[in-house]
Amino acid sequence: MNLGKGKLYGPLFALSFICAGGLLSTAALADTEATFVLPSSQAGATSLDPIRSSLVTLADGLIYDRLVDQDANQTFHPHLATRWETTADGMSWTFHLREGVTFHDGEPFNAQTIAWWIPKFAGTENAFLVSAIDKVEVVDDHTVHFVMKHPDTNLLYNLSSGFMGVPSPKAYDAEGTDYGVKVAVGTGPYKLESIAIGSEAVLVRNPDYTWGGPLSANKGPAKIDKLTLREIADSSTAFLEFKTGGVDLVIDVPSDILAQYKTLDNATIKSQSGFGIYYMPINTTVEPFTDLKVRKATALAINQKEIVDRLFGGKGRAAHNFLIASLPESKVDPTLNISYDPAQAKALLDEAGWKMGSDGIRVKNGKALSVTLVTQSDTEFKRLTEVIQAQLKAVGINAKISVFDSSSIRAEYKKGTQQLAVRSYGWNNADILDWFFSAERLGYPNVSMWKDAKAEALRTKALTGSKTQEERAANFLAYHEYVLSQYPFAPIYEPEQSMVFDKERLVLPAKIDGPQFTAQTVLDISIKE
Amino acid sequence: MTALAATVRSNIAALMPTFSSAFSGVALLILILIACAAPWLAPYPYDLQNLSIAAQAPSAAHWFGTDEFGRDVLSRVIFGARTSLSVSLVAISLSVTVGILIGAICGYVGGRLDRIVMSIVDLTWSFPEIVLALLIVAIIGPGSSSTVLAISIAYLAQFTRLTRTQIKSLKRQTFVEASLSLGAGPTHIIMRRLLPNVVAPVIVVAMLSTGNAILLEATLGFFGMGVQPPVPSWGAMLSTGSAQLFSAPWVILLPGALIALSVIFINLFGEGVLHALDIKAQARSH
Amino acid sequence: MTSYFIRRLLAMIPVFFVVSGVVFLIVHMVPGDPVDNMMSVGASANQRAEIIARYGLDRSLIEQYLTWLNNIVHGDLGTAIVMRRPVADLIMSNLGHSLALGGWALMFSAVAGLLAGTIAASFQDRWIDHGLMGVSLLGSTVPTFWLGLLMIMLFAVELGWVPVSGARSWTSLILPVITVGLGGMALVARVTRISMVEIAREDFVMLLHAKGLSRWTIQLRHILRHALIPVVTILSLRIGLIVGGSVTVEYVFARPGLGSLLIRALAQRDYPLIQGCLLFLAIAVMLGTLLGDLLQAAMDPRQREDSAQ
Repeated sequence: MNLGKGKLYGPLFALSFICAGGLLSTAALADTEATFVLPSSQAGATSLDPIRSSLVTLADGLIYDRLVDQDANQTFHPHLATRWETTADGMSWTFHLREGVTFHDGEPFNAQTIAWWIPKFAGTENAFLVSAIDKVEVVDDHTVHFVMKHPDTNLLYNLSSGFMGVPSPKAYDAEGTDYGVKVAVGTGPYKLESIAIGSEAVLVRNPDYTWGGPLSANKGPAKIDKLTLREIADSSTAFLEFKTGGVDLVIDVPSDILAQYKTLDNATIKSQSGFGIYYMPINTTVEPFTDLKVRKATALAINQKEIVDRLFGGKGRAAHNFLIASLPESKVDPTLNISYDPAQAKALLDEAGWKMGSDGIRVKNGKALSVTLVTQSDTEFKRLTEVIQAQLKAVGINAKISVFDSSSIRAEYKKGTQQLAVRSYGWNNADILDWFFSAERLGYPNVSMWKDAKAEALRTKALTGSKTQEERAANFLAYHEYVLSQYPFAPIYEPEQSMVFDKERLVLPAKIDGPQFTAQTVLDISIKE
Repeated sequence: MTALAATVRSNIAALMPTFSSAFSGVALLILILIACAAPWLAPYPYDLQNLSIAAQAPSAAHWFGTDEFGRDVLSRVIFGARTSLSVSLVAISLSVTVGILIGAICGYVGGRLDRIVMSIVDLTWSFPEIVLALLIVAIIGPGSSSTVLAISIAYLAQFTRLTRTQIKSLKRQTFVEASLSLGAGPTHIIMRRLLPNVVAPVIVVAMLSTGNAILLEATLGFFGMGVQPPVPSWGAMLSTGSAQLFSAPWVILLPGALIALSVIFINLFGEGVLHALDIKAQARSH
Repeated sequence: MTSYFIRRLLAMIPVFFVVSGVVFLIVHMVPGDPVDNMMSVGASANQRAEIIARYGLDRSLIEQYLTWLNNIVHGDLGTAIVMRRPVADLIMSNLGHSLALGGWALMFSAVAGLLAGTIAASFQDRWIDHGLMGVSLLGSTVPTFWLGLLMIMLFAVELGWVPVSGARSWTSLILPVITVGLGGMALVARVTRISMVEIAREDFVMLLHAKGLSRWTIQLRHILRHALIPVVTILSLRIGLIVGGSVTVEYVFARPGLGSLLIRALAQRDYPLIQGCLLFLAIAVMLGTLLGDLLQAAMDPRQREDSAQ
């Protein structure tokens, strides 16, 4: 043995101990790290520029703050705006801004920021958000005045949208069209460290943050030092990552894989009430659905409860009208709600002249009741559509399924030849009724091809004829009730939003106070000691 | 080791490829027969839903359990054999026929026609299979005919190239010159003299491609494009079943195993055919 | 050789124009358009018309094609409509991942396949031959998305040796490379084995035996070199896989890459992006095939005569 080598061992040992110690301590420092998996609806964002983007994600929600935040009951709370007033005719709004707010680059947030910000939307696809604002007047450093072209009862809703996070004017103008790719500067609780498009965004805590909104218990800096937001398209892969501790929280878990998470000891499933509806638009311009009775029968043939219990394991609720339960405009006259009633469905079909044939399919004038049932190629849609096909068969309607990808299907709808379809939407505002049933948008999004004079009158009154939010809600309720009475669609299911987190690593607030999983909740999440 | 044992061992070894390919051939035949006899063989209709017994483990009534809609897995797999096997067989047959036609014409005529047509055909080879298939299905619209067309176009290039190369090299051989001097027209030459020599390698490649076609059909099913529900296909069953891998593993066990087995049998059988053709070729050359 | 190379490159130019035309046509034959992917609830009814006008989608197809072609010839691949980034940027940022996955997978297929094929050929018809061919066959008969999932479950979840998904470190490349590589390995192994067995029957090999060279020297130095020719052919045909990536593997392992970029562009009907990616793929494969042909010509003098035609 060579003694020369032996002499090195001592110092080598000491060195390795020091290194290990150093590594351990850095490990302890970097302990407040967490990885979340973004929902599939937020996949594919190519920049963090809320003004020009067509897609905003949780990363935008954490880097930027908004003037107004929304809670789980769809009501609005102050954030960057401390309070606001509007005149009785809705032609003028005044917003008072929070003091002491700064951007990540040190620039101050004040009335001049707002005056710079609103006009920036002109010419972008998001311009409609501020199209009602004629001009912005700066009253003083922390007060702005919006002069409106016409009353906009939806202004607060738009201001709380992810697209209206406020970026730093200096950074925004400096980067030009490249803003949001490498540089994204806001006032939010997190700063952007790096972003790998299509893969992950890494955010670090903003230590100067002291202006958390009323929907977060924690008003100060976030409790998690470093947050990685990952995009994982395959739900099985996300599950396996969770199982091995690679991720700590999966924001949106599809219903078919929820059962697997229950097999893990450290997984806690948390649910929020729905953000959208699955429904079946019925084409009102094509035989046999030109007949109201046939439409009603089709809608009554859907066994919502069976779908909730068997297909979704009891999670979520049956949908009985077009809006999510948390919206006031969904509280329609109970007799107008649409529920499963196979006896009445069969009776209505008989009345309409469709008699039951020998093979279980109804016949009228020699023609069988065969219809097309169009759906998208995602698993959730296909599963639901197959069950609906079987339920329609039970009342004598033979539905033939056609699966399209999401872009082809819109082209298909615009042809207007489809009869039935299975669709869904994710939106928490009553104006979704206008989006899907307006006669100005026949084909797509108005897959029902519905054009009705009375409906149009009610719709325009609700959308543009209201002066206050209360008026708007009442008008939309009236429109909603009329829509229901004409059966241009069948409501199916209101899914719960389910998320899973590792209870051995994270502590979440008891209630998720937002229409979805948003920044205000993240501010309250901490690492378990 | 005695001489007898050594002889026995080498005999078995020599027979093995023949044995395995014969076995595979028989297994394939059985699969095809099962697929044809599906309506009589399957214990339940493939679209009979019964949500009250959804996702049940294998039992006496349902040998391979039920899927999430309470449909019998075994019945769906048997009908799925029809879909997967027929789609791939038809697609490859189409591919071979059109490929040989185009390849023969290009190989014989040559020149600018050859270059232009081949550059378009090569285009199909340069795109990832699944992208090409998705494009075609999107253009034509959903349904089994677009699936068949998509798969056949995806494999067109290799048959075209194979035929073209063979025709080009054979064209220069003396027996062709002899035929030409005897007054034979190009059609006669292509059909009677050149193509028979092309058939052997094309058959082998066709067989191996059928296995790939089954996999491509499964991948299309994974992306949600393929045969329309509720018609079962092994690939779609694999895709929807993956989400229940831990809670209901029996749903994917059978379709997954059958996909793998079909492809293995096809490959082994193809090897056997290659081996047999090789022996014939050797016999001819001696 | 150089003149052959240059001639082939020049021949690619007219092909390039044909390819660009076909790509443009195919993309516009697919129903649907990018506009609906850019509008959200609340947009006004005439926003559709605005967007269409803004991106020149209302002009005739010929006009759009010529504009696009003109830009390409000047080096500008355009800007993606829905994703809003320059197409070249998007391709470049994803290309690295695809090349890494595809390149290493090709190398794995080549090395593992050659190894398996050589050993199998050397012990022809014995158990080791059947065993190796059987195992490699298994790797190519399971759909890749399933193989990937199984590999994750075994190596990442049960054994914990590698990360489950992502593209953060080089360790996350291991499973995807093996998953893609196994598919090609079977083919390479089989072709190697068959060609080595065939070549071993040739006369010149008997001569080498007679000269007294050891069995292994003959196998490795002489036979293998000739057997490499068809293997290179096979591998050069798989070059498309390197650049296009394996889309399902990228999906299952949550890795960015050109394949998934293309799938997403297709789903959103982002015309400039789809066209750019497809054109890029086609050119890359053409260059790759050219490279493969050159390699073959270098290794096999007989090929050079053919190409002179």
